[in-house]
Amino acid sequence: MDIIESRTWIEWVITIAKFAFCFVPVLYILLLIPMERRGAGFMQDRQGPNRSYIKIPYFGKIRLFGYVQNMCDGAKLFFKEMFAPAGVNKVLYYVAPAVPFAIVFLSPCVIPWFGPMVFEWGDKMVRIPGSIIDSDVGVLLLMGFSSISAFGAILAGWASKSKYTFLGALRTSSMTISYEVCLGLSLMGILLLAGSFNLTDIVSWQEHHVWGIVAQPVAFFCFLIASIAETGRAPFDVAEGEPELVAGYHTEYGAMQFGLFYMGEYSHICINSFLIATLFLGGYSVPFVTTETMQAHMGGALAILCGILAFLVLAFLHMLYRYSRKLKATEQTHRFVVLQEYKLYKICGWIAAVVLVALGVCAWLFYNPANFVVNGVAVGSLATAVGTALIHLLVLVVKSVFFCWVWIWVRWTLPRFRYDHVMHLGWKIILNIALINLVVTAVIAKLAGGN
Amino acid sequence: MRVIKQTPMNWIERLYIFECLRGLFTTLKHAARGLFRYETLPTISYPEGQPEIRSTYRAKHRLMLRPDGTPRCVACGMCAAACPAHCIFIEATQSDDPRIEKRVMRFDIDHLTCVFCGLCAEACPVDALRMDTKKIVFEHRTRDEFVAHLNDLIDWDPKDYPEDAQSQMAPGGTKNAEALKVWGMEVK
Repeated sequence: MDIIESRTWIEWVITIAKFAFCFVPVLYILLLIPMERRGAGFMQDRQGPNRSYIKIPYFGKIRLFGYVQNMCDGAKLFFKEMFAPAGVNKVLYYVAPAVPFAIVFLSPCVIPWFGPMVFEWGDKMVRIPGSIIDSDVGVLLLMGFSSISAFGAILAGWASKSKYTFLGALRTSSMTISYEVCLGLSLMGILLLAGSFNLTDIVSWQEHHVWGIVAQPVAFFCFLIASIAETGRAPFDVAEGEPELVAGYHTEYGAMQFGLFYMGEYSHICINSFLIATLFLGGYSVPFVTTETMQAHMGGALAILCGILAFLVLAFLHMLYRYSRKLKATEQTHRFVVLQEYKLYKICGWIAAVVLVALGVCAWLFYNPANFVVNGVAVGSLATAVGTALIHLLVLVVKSVFFCWVWIWVRWTLPRFRYDHVMHLGWKIILNIALINLVVTAVIAKLAGGN
Repeated sequence: MRVIKQTPMNWIERLYIFECLRGLFTTLKHAARGLFRYETLPTISYPEGQPEIRSTYRAKHRLMLRPDGTPRCVACGMCAAACPAHCIFIEATQSDDPRIEKRVMRFDIDHLTCVFCGLCAEACPVDALRMDTKKIVFEHRTRDEFVAHLNDLIDWDPKDYPEDAQSQMAPGGTKNAEALKVWGMEVK
């Protein structure tokens, strides 16, 4: 009971609510799959999947800009029969896909989603860290988790009793080992500057000095390349190179078992892009604005946030109107069905724009923490803290979505490296650059009298 | 023989990373085109939007008509002789017109066998058989329906061929009246 009573109930509520962030990578999968498929299409001057639709009675067809296709594919994977080829190690074969997917829910626990929430509650000062577990070994924990996800591939490759999966698993393990080293070493520079393994400390160091990408540009590039390689995506996808290995370690898997590997890969991308955004792009911190300034002008900050969102909605509406106009001029027989669907989006868009502008104006004019009193308890500082957390979270999401896009962008641009080239790049080039960068950083930090 | 001399890569190209960035910029341009100028993508959303087909495209056949509406075909059988797939079946009969020796009684083209080479249209001495209908979709329930008979082949509308003077001489065309006058004059 002491441990429960040691904190106020609001602390407990927020601490438990933070566990919802475990599901962020899963939500990112929903975003990444259409982004990947449409992005790949656009880069190759195709349209990407856009044909599937949901038929709504008395309205027409809804395509959701091709998103229905992903739902269909997901449902198909989900309802397919699971089978195991003869001669596999049954237990390991069925356990293997679960390993990378279990990591999906564990990895987000050390990433700081927002700055520490500090607010007054009654007569107490409450401080709630932004990560689910505010651990002093944050980065190390995350690296450990991402290494464990390689076990999924290795187990799958070994249990499938197929030479292709076995070779794929070997390649995956060797890639993971070699690029984890590069990853860790390129990370060390920024850790040295911040003087802590705790990701919240690293972000607050960046907030008070400069972003990691300015302080450690070389390390940023090394880290980016190494983490692309570590997720096993093109141009480093030698582990599942189709011309040589069919599909690598998941050759023998179908249905949702394959789906779990697929989702594990995507959430690995998500976690890595959150990590890069946190380590090198200032994490949750808003560029050029300190948290204190933002909290002092919370109403204005919220108004600007609403303004940005309203601008995005208006830009979306502009594109919609423009495309509707072009579509109306064509001879396509389904254009009225599509235009009807767009009319729905236009109505939603205008409602959203109006609501956002109204919210922004209200926040600008009427936000005053002194006014917030619920049942005699002043919650003004809690409201400010929640608003700050919201803005921080959105900023972090924007930064990480950019890096997710980098993953997709790189995948559909560069050709696959040969296996020995990958190893050469990892051990002889990136590792050396990261080491030199670490030494130079250490010397300069010592001379400049930093940490 | 043309020999292309490959210039060795300079050191910036050998570093690879800058070439990567160039490639990334190229794909970014294409991605932006798809996102902001979606309708300029070359893809046609097929059943709803039809591809543009030129009149020289070798599509489904048609038989040209005289001004009085009879098929121009004189049943010489040269198209059937030229056909590499042997898909044209012609039966001739006596013509009612004293100026013309034969007319077709049966003119069948089996589109399941046809290879759309266009040799039949090339071989026709009276320009009766053409392949400029721009119809490229063949969908039927049974195999028999894929065989185009004489009635199907002469069933076309001059309004679909506004630029073609020969087609306009058929009944319903803009030049049918004067063509019929010339055709009738020769009878007397």
